[in-house]
Amino acid sequence: MKFYINKVDWEKFLEQISKTYRIYAPQEVYDELSYQLLSPENVNNTTYGTYRAVQPLKIFFSLPQEKVTAVTSQPEKTIVLGVKNCDLKALQVLDKIFLEGDFVDPFYRERRENTLIISSDCYQPKDTCFCTLLDNNPFPEEGFDLNVSPIDNGFLLEVGSPKGESFIASIREDLKEATSDLMEKRERKRKEAKKRVVEVNREFKTKRPFSVIVKDEYASPVWEEVTKTCVECGACTNICPSCYCFLLVDTKDEGKFPKVKFWDSCQHTGFARVAADVNPRAKLYERLRNRYLCKYEYRPENFGIVACTGCGRCVEACQGKIDKREVIKKLSEKEEK
Amino acid sequence: MTENPYLPVEAKIEKIIDETSNIKTFVLKPSRKIKFETGQFVQLTIPGIGEAPFTPSSSPYQTEKIEITIMKVGLLTGKLHEMREGEIVGIRGPYGRGYPFDDFYNKEVLVLGGGVGMAPLRSLLLTLLKNVDKFRRIVLCYGAKTPEDIVYKDAFPEWKKKKKLEILRSVDKAAPGWEETEGLVTVLLDKVKMDLKNSVAVVCGPPIMMKFGTFKLIDLGYKPESIYLSMEKNMSCGLGKCGHCALGKYYVCKDGPVFKYDLIKDIPDIWL
Repeated sequence: MKFYINKVDWEKFLEQISKTYRIYAPQEVYDELSYQLLSPENVNNTTYGTYRAVQPLKIFFSLPQEKVTAVTSQPEKTIVLGVKNCDLKALQVLDKIFLEGDFVDPFYRERRENTLIISSDCYQPKDTCFCTLLDNNPFPEEGFDLNVSPIDNGFLLEVGSPKGESFIASIREDLKEATSDLMEKRERKRKEAKKRVVEVNREFKTKRPFSVIVKDEYASPVWEEVTKTCVECGACTNICPSCYCFLLVDTKDEGKFPKVKFWDSCQHTGFARVAADVNPRAKLYERLRNRYLCKYEYRPENFGIVACTGCGRCVEACQGKIDKREVIKKLSEKEEK
Repeated sequence: MTENPYLPVEAKIEKIIDETSNIKTFVLKPSRKIKFETGQFVQLTIPGIGEAPFTPSSSPYQTEKIEITIMKVGLLTGKLHEMREGEIVGIRGPYGRGYPFDDFYNKEVLVLGGGVGMAPLRSLLLTLLKNVDKFRRIVLCYGAKTPEDIVYKDAFPEWKKKKKLEILRSVDKAAPGWEETEGLVTVLLDKVKMDLKNSVAVVCGPPIMMKFGTFKLIDLGYKPESIYLSMEKNMSCGLGKCGHCALGKYYVCKDGPVFKYDLIKDIPDIWL
């Protein structure tokens, strides 16, 4: 189902629903797009059609720090607006981890169930964006409740789930169905956006897919070379939308067995350390390499999903200026020269 | 909310048995029965201190109490060793895949253990003995550093009386009165004749012993798919989520801790 809604009506609708939902939308703060809580005062500051927000989508579902042994109150009904495809794809990985397998994370599930995702197209990628290198598109095709594509002073509204459908039920009658002309316009804009990402990453294109390169070049000296500037800060994993690793820590809080779950980083020295101080990944380059293998080989083998969606946040966040695309390119060069 | 998998149940320390100078067995009585399969592990919490994974050393047929044999190697195990009978700990689990002992039916089972690695193997051995008619033969090769470092000292004389069970022991360094083998545990493997076509081997011990034990078994003619390894990692959540126990594409907490060697042999650096 696809509709057209003009900007004024859309914002009016958001204002109205902001009484029942907490709405977070990407807005410009210090030259970055940052999720801001929506209010009638700032509703029209939202940026829809450009690159992703600086925060990864996971912050709404897997909190950086959270008590997991105390019963928490029901999470508030939340909407995340303007989510880009790189984040939607990454959320699939978190869903696999936290919602599937022998155990479900009840905290993650409650937040996921109480959150509506309204995605939008990305027409202006950044220089650090590389979704196309991983066969992703800068526009959502699945995994959203609603998608809004900015177009003709309004939005092309696409319903992606039953949750999204019931969400717009109250304004459904006022919505015009999207014309084929409008659809074509969106298609053209999407194609151009994709071309732009391809253009930005021309020099990083490799013949072999990333998954094959990281596996084939396991023993390459490049791993050690590129790790030289890493300061082990963990920014790349914290800011990554598909990194989900955490550590359970016992605390001195009230309660029987108080435990807190913290985001953890596989780049830290002690991440894999076992009893008697034995460390299977004692060297920094071994940890960096393992992270690439996790993203491009292991998770795809587990879930059929590449756990890097090319959002480019790690490239921007890295204090040592390590650019994943350059790492892969360097690894691949031996054979492809 | 559905059941919270992060929340332990209370367990009372009923008894503490000194095995060696740095290994103790804790007999725990959980407030709720914990049914486990031999080889699965649990997460043991000291309130306010921390949590670590251990594989029970007791028989899974004994459901009221659960025994855990622990060597003092770090902060948490150090604290555990200071605890007294009557104190309360927390238990979550069981987690992971244990020994698929149905696969061992009608076969000769070679059990190779080193040091405190005997803990899960004791649980396995008790399970095998309970079902002893289903197996051709059980051979336990166990090694420790010195005679004093041998765990379950009281159990061995009883086990030696069991039919179908043969026991060979070695110590790295003998002491007066030791009449069994002196040398690394792998030398015991030269002393046993197994029907290789119809045998499986189970290995648990310190990483270096697991490595050379496995290589020796391969040299003797065991196929990688007939060797079962207990891969201990530092599981944090135990639920297949936190990522700490990654071994290649596997998470040891949910895909293991028991792995057939052929599944993991091509993963780099598995012995660390």
